[in-house]
Amino acid sequence: MSVTLLYIEDDREIGSAVSADLREREYAVRWLESGEGAVEAAAGCQLVILDVMLPGLDGFTVGQRLKRAYPNLPVLMLSARTSIDDKLQGLEFADDYLTKPFHPDELAARIEVLLRRTGAVLSIPLKLKHLMVYEGDNRIIEAASGKEILLTGKQFQIFSYLLRHLGQILTKEQIYEAVWGESYIEGDKTLMVHIRYLREKLELDPAAPEIIETVRGIGYRVRA
Amino acid sequence: MRQPGFFRKLHASLLSRYLLIIMTALLFIPAVLVIIPLTLNMAQEDVPKEYEKYQDIKELEKIWHKEAAGLLGSSPERINNRLKALSSAYSLAAMFWVDGEGRTRLSLESADPRLWQQNERRPIPPVWTAAQAISFMKKSMAYNPKPMNIVAFVGDRAEAGEGFMVMQIPDAIIERHYFDGMSLRFTLVMFVLFTGFMVVSLLFFIQIRKRLLRLETAMAFTGEDGVPQLIDPGKPDEIGRLETAFNTMVTELAASRAREAEEEGLRKRLVSDLSHDLRTPLTVIRSHLHILGKEQLTGRGQESLKLMDERIESLGVLIENLLSYNLLSSGRMTLKPERKDVLRLLRESAAAWYPLWEKEGFQIEIDLEGEPLHWNVDESWFRRILDNLFQNIVRHARSGLYVGVAVEDREGERVIVIRDHGQGLGSGSESKGAGLGLSIVDLLLKRMELGWKVDSTKQGTTIVILSLPHGNLNKI
Repeated sequence: MSVTLLYIEDDREIGSAVSADLREREYAVRWLESGEGAVEAAAGCQLVILDVMLPGLDGFTVGQRLKRAYPNLPVLMLSARTSIDDKLQGLEFADDYLTKPFHPDELAARIEVLLRRTGAVLSIPLKLKHLMVYEGDNRIIEAASGKEILLTGKQFQIFSYLLRHLGQILTKEQIYEAVWGESYIEGDKTLMVHIRYLREKLELDPAAPEIIETVRGIGYRVRA
Repeated sequence: MRQPGFFRKLHASLLSRYLLIIMTALLFIPAVLVIIPLTLNMAQEDVPKEYEKYQDIKELEKIWHKEAAGLLGSSPERINNRLKALSSAYSLAAMFWVDGEGRTRLSLESADPRLWQQNERRPIPPVWTAAQAISFMKKSMAYNPKPMNIVAFVGDRAEAGEGFMVMQIPDAIIERHYFDGMSLRFTLVMFVLFTGFMVVSLLFFIQIRKRLLRLETAMAFTGEDGVPQLIDPGKPDEIGRLETAFNTMVTELAASRAREAEEEGLRKRLVSDLSHDLRTPLTVIRSHLHILGKEQLTGRGQESLKLMDERIESLGVLIENLLSYNLLSSGRMTLKPERKDVLRLLRESAAAWYPLWEKEGFQIEIDLEGEPLHWNVDESWFRRILDNLFQNIVRHARSGLYVGVAVEDREGERVIVIRDHGQGLGSGSESKGAGLGLSIVDLLLKRMELGWKVDSTKQGTTIVILSLPHGNLNKI
């Protein structure tokens, strides 16, 4: 199944080069040169790439309108601006932010992370070392034996949070606050205990974890 | 037109108004001196009618002496009768007479003995010796109150040797008392006047104080824009002029704030446009380099494309820093410091940089354990500081292949320490371009009341960030 992206960029040279690159990466791209008709064009799209400086309606206004029409549609802002105020203003509704000049690989990587985070590509099973993860069905299968691994609620929540931020290092505070929904208190061992049980279930050798990696001094990471 | 001008001038000066009050008070003293005798005359009417004939002592003396002269050579009976007649005319006075031999012949009491106070009327000796006469005189001088004694020799001559006659008027009916009452009234009027003067002065100063306080309040309280509110200018005197001057100042301040805000907006827009104009072509070049990279190229060609791509990345960073520095150094950026756990910000920032360090093959040591470290920082700008420092390590200290981020104790304070093993900030090609990023770090740290120390040698650089006593919330 092909993923459709809505790309709004007024600069033709950038627009054509980026659309071509994204098409090569097997995305269907709808490219608009202004914010006019963006809401209608977004129907059926899985993600929006939005330039901040547009003729007529600026990117922030277009983004806010899109979010109002499709609250679950991820929006990635592209900006040629510097000011941090813009970033904050943009990120209030945007899901991610990339500054020009960006490398096309960087853009592709961000798109992938966003699609995964918002569950737009959940039907594709994720292969992690010896595991096959079907995020859409909440199933984790040990590839070699075909055996399903069952997780408790909290273990599953922690694992899916790490999966949604695949490749990103997440701090203890970030994981705790996302899963438990309350402020992390320094010295709290709850998360460590849960990670230990999670590893016992997921890892081939829990003493030398391969799936959930500890990044010393910072937090945890699941690498693709 | 002179009069209104004069009054306006008077109205327009606190000094002249106060001088007017003092002048009025001073003018009242002579006025009082005129008014009091007037009230005195009026008060004479207050003397009861039956007392009136006793008020003119001189007249009484004249009458008494005339009567005495008329009685020269009269028989005692005649003198008795005459005295009785006089006593009925002056019934409130007491009378007696003493003959040539010193014997008291007749003593007539006052018709109203209540007027006589104790000691005023003492027993009259039946026989007068020289000693007794002197004692009578002395006693009537010594006692207080003393009756008015009018003494006349019968025949109005001492040589006649026919004795003397005395009329005694009680003290209580003599006008002197009324005059005492007058002096009380005088004091009262003066008291009222001075009190009035004090009250007027007090009101005058209370009014000045009230207006000054109002002005002070207006100066102290500022609106949301940090500019005090305008106040109603009252009277056109000194304080009124001060209020007008204050209003002018506030208006100018507000205008200058508006101008500043406008300049800030203009500069931000300029920077933003500049950024856009520089980055757009760079983005185009970068995407085309990427397209070019997919073509068949030799190893050298690929190498040169990679180099160009890296340079574009650096240019992007340079533009970011240049424009940020422009905004920051002109003081056109507003920071919003909040109490934040900087260790958490450090962990999150390090987490973002970690993959790049890993890719470059850095040895990474992160030690941010322990209690949260709360400093008063603007979160996004603090991240910017860390980004600049970490970026410098990747770009300028790559040769050391080491990055260390830690929280350490230095002289009892917890500080942030960022280390690399590069060739140091002062050395050769590696440090080129680091200056701008570090200038931004310096500006931002100063704005957040944080201090930093850089210890850079050929073996590496250690940057210590510490909270200056002002900004440290952990101490509170």
